Amino acid sequence: MSVTARSSPWLLAGPGTVLFTAFVILPLALTLVISFQHFEPNAATGSGFTFTNFVSILTDEYFLGIFWRTLKLSLLTTLACALIGVPEAYILSRMRDPWRSVFLLVIIGPLLVSVVVRAFGWSILLGSSGLVVQLGEMLGLGFGRLLYTETAIVIALVHVMLPFMVIPVWTALQRLDPSVEAASLTLGASALTTLRRVVLPQVSLGMLSGSLLVFGLSTSAFAIPGLLGGRRLKMVATLVYDQFLQELNWPLGAALAITLLVFNLAIMLAFNRFVEARARKVLG
Amino acid sequence: MSFLTLASLTKAYGSFVAVDGISLAIERGEFVSFLGPSGCGKTTTLQMIAGLTPPTAGTVVLGGRDITQDAPNKRGLGVVFQSYALFPHMTVAENVSFGLEMRKIARAERDRQVADTLSLVRLSEMADRYPRQLSGGQRQRVAVARALVIKPPVLLLDEPLSNLDAKLREEMQFELRRIQQSVGTTTIMVTHDQAEALSISDRVVVMEKGRITQVDAPYRLYEQPATPFISDFVGKMTRLHGIRRAGGVEVAGRLLPAGGDAGEGGAVDLLLRPEKIEFAAAGQGMVDGRVVSRFFFGSYWLFAIETAAGLATVSLPNQDEDVPREGENVALRWAPASARVVSPEGAEP
Ligand SMILES: Nc1ncnc2c1ncn2[C@@H]1O[C@H](COP(=O)(O)OP(=O)(O)OP(=O)(O)O)[C@@H](O)[C@H]1O
Ligand SMILES: [Mg+2]
Repeated sequence: MSVTARSSPWLLAGPGTVLFTAFVILPLALTLVISFQHFEPNAATGSGFTFTNFVSILTDEYFLGIFWRTLKLSLLTTLACALIGVPEAYILSRMRDPWRSVFLLVIIGPLLVSVVVRAFGWSILLGSSGLVVQLGEMLGLGFGRLLYTETAIVIALVHVMLPFMVIPVWTALQRLDPSVEAASLTLGASALTTLRRVVLPQVSLGMLSGSLLVFGLSTSAFAIPGLLGGRRLKMVATLVYDQFLQELNWPLGAALAITLLVFNLAIMLAFNRFVEARARKVLG
Repeated sequence: MSFLTLASLTKAYGSFVAVDGISLAIERGEFVSFLGPSGCGKTTTLQMIAGLTPPTAGTVVLGGRDITQDAPNKRGLGVVFQSYALFPHMTVAENVSFGLEMRKIARAERDRQVADTLSLVRLSEMADRYPRQLSGGQRQRVAVARALVIKPPVLLLDEPLSNLDAKLREEMQFELRRIQQSVGTTTIMVTHDQAEALSISDRVVVMEKGRITQVDAPYRLYEQPATPFISDFVGKMTRLHGIRRAGGVEVAGRLLPAGGDAGEGGAVDLLLRPEKIEFAAAGQGMVDGRVVSRFFFGSYWLFAIETAAGLATVSLPNQDEDVPREGENVALRWAPASARVVSPEGAEP
C-alpha cells in the first residue's frame, strides 16, 4: 500500500475535521472552561476555578423554574408536533402527485423564512389587537391575553418545528410496502385498525427521530421565546443570552449553556435508548 | 352455477385497457393458474377479485353473491402477495394470528388455530421469529399460513414462488399443492412460469394482452395449444413452415409426414414437441440433419438439429452417455400422429 492510499482518508476527512474543530469543539471547550471561572464584574471573562456557577444554577429557584419551563414547553411542543405531524405526513403520503408536491412545499416552505420573521408574524397575530384574539372575541371565546404567554410560545414553536416531524415520518412512510397495508385489509382489518396496528408501528423510528429533532431544537430555541415570551417568560436560551449580553456574567451564562447541553443530551439519549432499542429489535 | 364467476371483468387505466372483458367460471376446490407474459394483466385481475382494485366494468360473483362492490376487508379472501407483505414488526405467530384477531376469535382458540396452521406449513419452530429472520421460502410459507388460517373461500396467490431459487421453488410447488389438497381451498395462482402452471394446476388460464386466449387442463394445453403464442410460450416447440399436402407438410421440397386431413395447397406450420422426435439410423428417418449444439439437463438431453427443413429441437431421456455429439450427422423420425398442423404463425388460428 502506498503512502497516499494510507493517508488519503485523513486528507479527505481533513477539511471537515478542521471546520468541526474550529467552530464546534473549540467554542464548546472555551464555554466549558469559562463555566468554571469566577465572575469578575469588570472583566469580560472570569478567572480561577470554581463550582459556584453550577451550584447556584442547581439551587436557585429562579433558574430551576426556567429549566422546568423549558422542559415542559419542549415536551408539549414535541407532543403537539407528533399529534399534528404524523397524520399530516400520512395524508401527504396518500396524496396523488401534483398535490403531494404542492403540499410538501407548503410544509417545507416556512423553513425558507427566517425564524425571527415568523416569530414576529406570530406576535402580530397573537397580540391584543391581532387576528387570533379578535376572532376569539367575535366568536365569544375570549382567549384573554395570548401574547407573552406559554401558549403563544408553544403555538409558534409547533409551527416552526412541524417540518422536522413531518419529514422523517414521511420518509419512513415512503419506505413502507403498500401491499403490507393491502394485506392487512384482506385479513379483515378496517382502515383505522390498519393504520394503528400496521402503519404506525412501522414508522415509529421516523417518529422517534422527528421527536428528537423537535425536542432538541425546542429546548435551545431562542428567537421564539425571546419575542413571544417577553421579558418575563424566559426559557434557557434567552436566559443564557441575558447573562452574556445584559448581566455580562459570562461564567454563569456559560454554566447555564453547559447545563442545558448536558440536560438535553441526557434526555435525548435516554429517550433514544428506550424507543430505539425496542424498534430496532423488531424492525431490524 | 360455479363457485367463483368472473363476468366481463374489465380494468382500464385511462385509455389503456389492462384487463379486457375476462369471463371465467371456477369450481369449488379447484386449483387454477393464470399464466401469461409480464404486463398481460394477471395481477390486475387478481386484485380485482381481492377487491384491491375496483373494476371498470364486469362482476365478481362468489358462491352466488355479487361481491364486486364489497371492500377487501369484507370479502374474507386469502391473499398471498408477490412480496409476501408480512408485517415486519410482528412475529410469525402474530402475523398468522392477525386475521383471527380481526375476526374477534378468543385467545385460546386463536392460539390453537395458529399452531395448527403453522404445523401445516411446517413452521412450528419459527413461531417466535420476526419475518426478517426467515429465509425466502419460510416467509412464503408464513404468507400462505396467514392467508389460510382465516379459512378463506378462495386463496389468491400472486407469483408466490417467483422470488425463490429453482430448487426451493420446486419444493414449494409440491408444498403448495399438498397444502391446497389437504385443505381443499379453491385456489387461484398467478404465474409467468409455464412449468409451474403446468405442474400444479387443475386448469391453466392463459392470458395475453388483457384477454384470455385458452383455458384448459395442463395436458391439453401442452398438447393442443390454441394459438402460436401459446405453443411457443408453453414448453418448447419446433415450428417448420411449409405447404399442406396429402399425408403431411411439404417443407423445403420434402414431404414431412403429419396426421390430420389434407386441406391441400395452403401455407401451414408443422409443430413438433422435442420429446416426440427421435433419432433414426442414417437414411431411415424422415429428414436428415446435423447436431448444432447439445445440452444436458440431468434427466434428459436437448439437441438443436439443423435440417434442410429448418432448425429442430429434440429431447432424449437420459439413458446412457452414448448420444450424438455436436457436428454429428443424424436422421430424425416421429409418429405422424404426434405432429400437429396449424395455420402459420402470424395468421389468426
Ligand atoms: N395503476 C396503474 N396505472 C396505469 N397502468 C397500470 C396500473 N397498474 C397496472 N398497469 C398496467 O396494466 C398492465 C397489467 O399490469 P399487471 O400488473 O396486471 O401485469 P402482470 O400480468 O401482473 O405482469 P407481471 O407478470 O409483470 O407482474 C401493465 O401493462 C401495467 O403497465
Ligand atoms: Mg404481476
